[in-house]
Amino acid sequence: MKEPTTMPPFHYVCPRDQIRPNEPQTFEIDDRFVVLVEIDQVVHCIEDMCTHDGGTLGDGQLDGACLVCPRHGAKFDVRTGKAVCMPATEDTPSHTVKIDAGKIYVALNN
Amino acid sequence: MTTSAMTDKLDSTETFGQPAFDRLLEKRIDPTWLTAKRKQAWEVFQSIDWPNPRDENWMRSELRGLRLSKFAPNIDESVEIPEGTPVRLLEGVDVSASLRSVNGVVVSESLDEGLAGQGVVVGSLSRCARDHSALVERYLHSLICPKSDRFAALQAAMWSDGYFVYVPRNVRVEKPIHLHAAMGDGQVDLSHTLIVLESGAEATVLFESSSPDVTSKGLHCGGVELIQHGNSHLRYVNLQDWGKGCWHFAHQRASVGRDSQLQWTVAAMGAKFAQVDQRVELIEPGARSQVNGVMFTQDRQHLVYNTLQHHKAPHCTSDFLYKSVLQDRSRTVWRGMIKVSEGAQKTDGYQRNDNLMLSDAARADSIPGLEINADDVRCTHGSTSGRVDEELIFYAQSRGFTRSEAIRMIVTGFFQQIFDRITIQTVREALGAAIARQVRQYE
Repeated sequence: MKEPTTMPPFHYVCPRDQIRPNEPQTFEIDDRFVVLVEIDQVVHCIEDMCTHDGGTLGDGQLDGACLVCPRHGAKFDVRTGKAVCMPATEDTPSHTVKIDAGKIYVALNN
Repeated sequence: MTTSAMTDKLDSTETFGQPAFDRLLEKRIDPTWLTAKRKQAWEVFQSIDWPNPRDENWMRSELRGLRLSKFAPNIDESVEIPEGTPVRLLEGVDVSASLRSVNGVVVSESLDEGLAGQGVVVGSLSRCARDHSALVERYLHSLICPKSDRFAALQAAMWSDGYFVYVPRNVRVEKPIHLHAAMGDGQVDLSHTLIVLESGAEATVLFESSSPDVTSKGLHCGGVELIQHGNSHLRYVNLQDWGKGCWHFAHQRASVGRDSQLQWTVAAMGAKFAQVDQRVELIEPGARSQVNGVMFTQDRQHLVYNTLQHHKAPHCTSDFLYKSVLQDRSRTVWRGMIKVSEGAQKTDGYQRNDNLMLSDAARADSIPGLEINADDVRCTHGSTSGRVDEELIFYAQSRGFTRSEAIRMIVTGFFQQIFDRITIQTVREALGAAIARQVRQYE
């Protein structure tokens, strides 16, 4: 019998006003690295990992709602983690963001 | 986060700074040549940066989570023996000598009296640096250069203790020598292994490392030097089974002389992150080396192996076979190089890396390479990566096996090629058991 799925816990990350529009920032949560980005006043969170070569995305530039990998130019939609440009073909994990009392919390998915 | 921000976190001088090094020198009773060597290595440590993430050997490594300030070198050598550190390679083995270390400091030594009478030395490296000073001085860090990277420099400067095995000319050590490194939760192991076989010598060394619990944390930064003179024969087995919260950095080197044989078996099961730089140098004609590597990863383990088989002389043979099985979101990186120096004609070099993925989210990077500066050689390399064949599972299930049993059987079969090459039965059995324990229960 499969065990019931439980919602991953939320981790406090930083004050809401630390994340500025269109400026990706990297954080370490529970031994993993994630990138937080504000797009159109909404904060999104994806894994700090390019699925093409396993490198980091945090130093990349934004192209609209996509974060561009600084090494080979793969692009990931920060709202969903979806890989939208070669050479990446697999999505990077996207995490759940919650804002409560001016603080950002992230629950790590998969 | 910028690169400088990353290295700021790594570059803690709180626990691995000048005061710690000064205290280490003050506490230790080392011969003057060793103190001088440590000081030289410390200067290198202070003068170079941590590895650049753009460096080819480190670009697939994730060091951002490493906080050196969480660890401290074991300077006072006060050792609390952790309970429950498993010993896997001893079962059913009659050994001729054994050494056990805790947090990088040797706590027990034993050696067959007959062998001691023949001049065989097996003991704590710190003690042997005093008791067999000339021998250790000649060989220690003769293969590993502290300038290789900052981890090598740190280890060369601050190594705590280690294992010294010396087999004199034409002495054959029939029974295996067993070395066991245990590391407590949250502790540091900066040990060094130095094995020297003189001409015509023969030995089997079983080395294993373990933590008290599968989730144990720790930092291991070690070195291995295997030195073989002419016509010697060494079988070296290394089972790395640190806890899944450990950081494991190692420089491992072998130098194989004329008509000598080295069989090196590596089994990497543990550690959260491992970066191993393994090199075998074939320095005289007729030298032969065989390296068998097994990696089995799970959860978010990340193991990086950079290997080099360096043919420096003609008529040498090298054969590297690495096989990995990956579960969950784990990752392995294998970057192998065969280098043939100018004049090393009639070289026969082979390298292969096979990866079996048991989940969609696992990742294996396999990068074989050749650098050949001679024109009469045979060098071949290959790599395969793929998922378990569903048809094989279906077939096994149709014969009455569960899916889990089928996968375990396929994994065992995948590693069989390596097991067939291991000549020591107890090692085959221990590795088989360790692998069987790692296979998840699949629905």
